[in-house]
Amino acid sequence: MGETQFALPDVGEGVAEGELVAWLVEEGERVEEDQPVAEVETDKAIVEIPAAYDGIVSRLHAAEGEVVPVGDVIVTFDVDAEGSTADESAGAGDVDATTDEDAAGGAAAGDAAGENAADAEGAGATAAATDRVFAPPSVRTAAREAGVDLASVHGSGPGGRITADDLRAAIDGRPGSTGDGERTRPTDEAGRSRSDDEVAGSTGRRGSTATSRGGDSSGTADRDRTLAMPATRQLARDEGVDIDAVPASDRRDGEAYVTPDDVRAYAAGETGTAAGAGAAVADDVGERGGSEAGATGTDADAGTADADATRPGDRIPYRGVRRTIGERMATAKYTAPHVSHHDEVDVTDLVATRERLTAATAEDEPRLTYLPFVIKAVVAGLRAQPILNAELDEEAEEIVVHDRYDIGIAVATDAGLMVPVVENADEKGLLELAAEVRDLAARARSRTISPEELQGSTFTITNLGAIGGEHASPIINYPEVGILALGEIKRKPAVHEGEVVPRDLLTVSMSVDHRVVDGADAARFTNEVTRYLNDPDLLLLE
Amino acid sequence: MVMGDVTTGTDVLVIGGGPGGYVAAIRAAQRDLDVTLVEKDAYGGTCLNHGCIPSKALIHAADVAHEAGTAEDLGIHADPAVDAVALADWKDGVVDQLTGGVEKLCKANGVTLIEGTAAFSGEHTARIAHGGDGQGMESVEFEHAIVATGSRPIEIPNFPYAEETVWSSRDALGADAVPDRLVVVGAGYIGMELSTTFAKLGADVTVVEMLDDVLPTYEDDVKRVVRSRAEELGIEFSFGEGASDLREVDGTGIEVVTETEDGEESVYGADRVLVAVGREPVTDTLELDAAGLEPGSDGFLETDVQGRTDLDHVFAVGDVAGDPMLAHAASREGIVAAEAIAGEPAALDAQAVPSAVFTDPEIGTVGLTEAEAAAEGFDPVVGEMPLRASGRALTMNETDGFVRIVADEPSGYVLGGQVVAPEASELIAEIGLAIEMGATLADVAGTIHTHPTLSEAVMEAAENAMGQAIHTLNR
Repeated sequence: MGETQFALPDVGEGVAEGELVAWLVEEGERVEEDQPVAEVETDKAIVEIPAAYDGIVSRLHAAEGEVVPVGDVIVTFDVDAEGSTADESAGAGDVDATTDEDAAGGAAAGDAAGENAADAEGAGATAAATDRVFAPPSVRTAAREAGVDLASVHGSGPGGRITADDLRAAIDGRPGSTGDGERTRPTDEAGRSRSDDEVAGSTGRRGSTATSRGGDSSGTADRDRTLAMPATRQLARDEGVDIDAVPASDRRDGEAYVTPDDVRAYAAGETGTAAGAGAAVADDVGERGGSEAGATGTDADAGTADADATRPGDRIPYRGVRRTIGERMATAKYTAPHVSHHDEVDVTDLVATRERLTAATAEDEPRLTYLPFVIKAVVAGLRAQPILNAELDEEAEEIVVHDRYDIGIAVATDAGLMVPVVENADEKGLLELAAEVRDLAARARSRTISPEELQGSTFTITNLGAIGGEHASPIINYPEVGILALGEIKRKPAVHEGEVVPRDLLTVSMSVDHRVVDGADAARFTNEVTRYLNDPDLLLLE
Repeated sequence: MVMGDVTTGTDVLVIGGGPGGYVAAIRAAQRDLDVTLVEKDAYGGTCLNHGCIPSKALIHAADVAHEAGTAEDLGIHADPAVDAVALADWKDGVVDQLTGGVEKLCKANGVTLIEGTAAFSGEHTARIAHGGDGQGMESVEFEHAIVATGSRPIEIPNFPYAEETVWSSRDALGADAVPDRLVVVGAGYIGMELSTTFAKLGADVTVVEMLDDVLPTYEDDVKRVVRSRAEELGIEFSFGEGASDLREVDGTGIEVVTETEDGEESVYGADRVLVAVGREPVTDTLELDAAGLEPGSDGFLETDVQGRTDLDHVFAVGDVAGDPMLAHAASREGIVAAEAIAGEPAALDAQAVPSAVFTDPEIGTVGLTEAEAAAEGFDPVVGEMPLRASGRALTMNETDGFVRIVADEPSGYVLGGQVVAPEASELIAEIGLAIEMGATLADVAGTIHTHPTLSEAVMEAAENAMGQAIHTLNR
């Protein structure tokens, strides 16, 4: 057994530091390789940091809320020696208990300590307060059946209690124990003690992270009524959070149900930024294709629309996702000279087409929204004007024109703006795009999206919402050279075939990097997008 | 081998049909082993026939009589008369129902029952002498044996149980009359249970104890409650005195002579003397040496965590295997032994064995006391709920006693509990479960308990230990 220092790994492109939002493990807990140990908020995402080793967490080096540079040690692990369960037992003991025991030094305990220390052979560890192993009878029975000495199993339950899962983990981790029906059967039995698992706080937390992936697709983080347990409400009050503003990860009887983890995630990640409006965006993107969006659409004001959580006089820490967004925006705005271009598109036919196609869509297929049409129109526009699908490599002094169409979709979330990427959008059909956007947006909102999925877009689409007006000056998702902002589809009087008639009109706003793209290019691109949105039949040719 | 003996073979020979033996027999049979159970007296052993069950029946009856007669505070006036014969009949009926049930269960599980006294005649053979002259013998060859012969009351010099005036606990429980004057020798749990019972049934009771207090293995505050209640019942205690002699007094009963360490004598007049100074294992009838076994100097058989003696194929369970001499421990030992014989990885690894004393009020204890926890290297924290703060206890007019929970402060693990209260024998089960489950104080405190009940006191004690009790002052 030895100690191994675990440093905050590089969690994403160019990320130098991250805020340690939450520990997912406790000191003294046994973890397995790849088990998440911490949530770190970095480059537009909350990232779960996986352990690199099997072992016992002997020390956590950072406090929750602390900003940790990449490469700094965050955890010290006691790493198991292969196949040495006896040694594990000594290592598994709570460090604190060991110390206490030594101080107490009762005669009986002294003997026990002596024996165990002898077993531990130079591990430098001493026995726990007594020989006692805290595990319920069902687990003790299962351990005997599996031939496991419980003293060698680390408990993840309260105070180190050994649960059925701990035992199963110990058995699975034991050399030569896999693939043997004789041995795996008892572990299954051990695993039936569900209640054990539920008692374990740490597993509960991880479990609920998974739950939140299910997400509250209603996104109603500005509800009139919220279902939650009294303890959750108390937690929300403790955290200074409006429970009606917390995105719910679950539903009960058709109503949003907020869990303690929802509150913690919200309280940890929101830092006073977007809540209610933010959570609604992805759906709006999906539903209205950027029109009538209930959310903050532009980069500039994303994440600041949270009237619920932000109160006059607040001083809100500028860090985490919010600061990352800010830094990115500043870089983009001050590096790329922005030029804007606005237009209005008659999408009356698109509205009809979408309605027709939606009616024809099977129930089990994703709901067809406007956004897939817009993505296809944008891809067509980029094909016509490749310079819009490019970036400036300043070091090489080259304009890199991409040969891929990876479209970023700006999604406002509780934590602020995120831009998940629909890769190879040119190769995907409308329904496929609809499904992918929906999935990406949901995971961005629940912040379970991986950093890789937030990187590498070649062009970005954002949208204005009902909150905003019709036009915006979107900030480019640097180092891209163009961004398209969609307004709201509004029924307005328009001249159509010589007559003033009501038509469905969509405003679009473009920003381009004037170092690379001239206004004329932007206009031609917009014209092409407009042509497709005007006449959705053309999309069928794409 | 004696001519005419019948020899049978069996996988498992269980000697003794008490709570250790019959349970072992049934579990072994459930594991498809061929099982033979030998019982010389009555199925159910001491527990069912001469211990737990009849004593609790008697205690219950005494409580009913006593409560009815002392309920003036509640506005109830009664002068109950105890018909000792009818009471004994009812009690015997309870016992018969249970022992009959044991016999039926054994048979239903395919256990072969033999009545008689078993003794080893070799490593793998035993001879069984059937009761009574001319009833014959038989031999049994066994693969495995489980010795579950239990224990018997210890007899002291000059107080032979053969005398009608000298009661063992078994005699006392079989009595069909309540003596006017009863001297009880020994203030352990049997002495205290029976002295309380007979006092409630109307006897004048004097307890003579060599030590300086009642219930030597219990903590002072536990003893204090029980002793003072006993004194309220009119029981008189003489501590520091050992019973030395018994004298018949013509026409007026007996005199019990006691001696202090300094040789000072006292004399107590009585109609009966109950000797309750402890129990000894029954190993002398087994001819253990024929099997190659030898009990320890105290008569007990030493066993490992599976109940295995020095001989791999011979197990011992229950009182004969030493402390704790409790029926529920015997049953668990019996199950473990049977499963071990069946090749299963069974073991005695209970964190705690609860015990109960059916005094007034009852005592229930499990796990570690505060001092024991400290001695084991824990950093104990204790929480208490006095019964006078319990609504339910007040409604029962039973406010003497407390519920105490002992835990390890850093981890919160429940390590033990001591309960002095009505139904303490039931209440202690919750703390026992908490210990076995590795529950913490927060777990117990966070479990909603029914109101109004005595069990709320367990929750409250846990909160008290955490410094957040509502109904008591936090320590």
